[in-house]
Amino acid sequence: MAATAIPEVRPDIDRDEETDSSTALEPGYLVICWNDPVNLMDYVTHVFQVVFGWQRQKAETHMLQVHNQGKSVLTRESLEKAEFYVHQLQRYTLHATMERDQG
Amino acid sequence: MKLIQSRRDQLIFEIGRREKGLLLEILQLYPLVPQEHHRLSKTARAGQLNEHQRLLEESLAAQRKENRKQIRALLDEAGRFQAIPTGFRLKITRPEIEWLLQVLNDVRIGGWIALGSPDTEAGEKIPVNERTTPFIRSMEIAGAFETVFLDALTGRTPG
Repeated sequence: MAATAIPEVRPDIDRDEETDSSTALEPGYLVICWNDPVNLMDYVTHVFQVVFGWQRQKAETHMLQVHNQGKSVLTRESLEKAEFYVHQLQRYTLHATMERDQG
Repeated sequence: MKLIQSRRDQLIFEIGRREKGLLLEILQLYPLVPQEHHRLSKTARAGQLNEHQRLLEESLAAQRKENRKQIRALLDEAGRFQAIPTGFRLKITRPEIEWLLQVLNDVRIGGWIALGSPDTEAGEKIPVNERTTPFIRSMEIAGAFETVFLDALTGRTPG
């Protein structure tokens, strides 16, 4: 489908970097699990299965990525969903954070 | 401690007297991870996610309270540990194993934090002395029980 040539008028928006509103923090957050030398590998795999509903193989792949590469991006979500997942992972004392997707 | 029966919603373990003592000792250490350990983000600038960080802390505080209540209920429940000649028979539901894993891992991670979060994978040694021994011990015992529960959930026989 061809694009229609309509002049685009954009509102003059000043970005407020310090704002705390969810809208300004969109569009995406990465949920990342970081390596530590103390969480058991089987435990991490189990937590990924429970929190994300993944099959064991996928959970193990991410666990090994955490272990071998220092971190694994588990999912990319909206602020609210990323926050939910981080809460769940931290309930199990995994070292998980959400970071704004810069990509 | 070993799994003797796995039902759809309940697992039955046989646990020795000394093992039972160790399990109860570990559960009573909960919580060990300091509240301020939990961070929502590594890169968010000051002020950006303050409200969300507060929500995380509130959520985890509520969960700790609930877990403590569950531990109390488990310890007080008559018949939870059924005496048998070799020790006890312990019945646990699958949802109970989930919060037990959270509790055990809190003790494990809390011990590690108390030891200064040593990077043992990079070769950092943990000095063994009067101060560190109780934490090393609780970490190891918590980890051992975690392994038993994880093996039971996955149907694996410990090798």
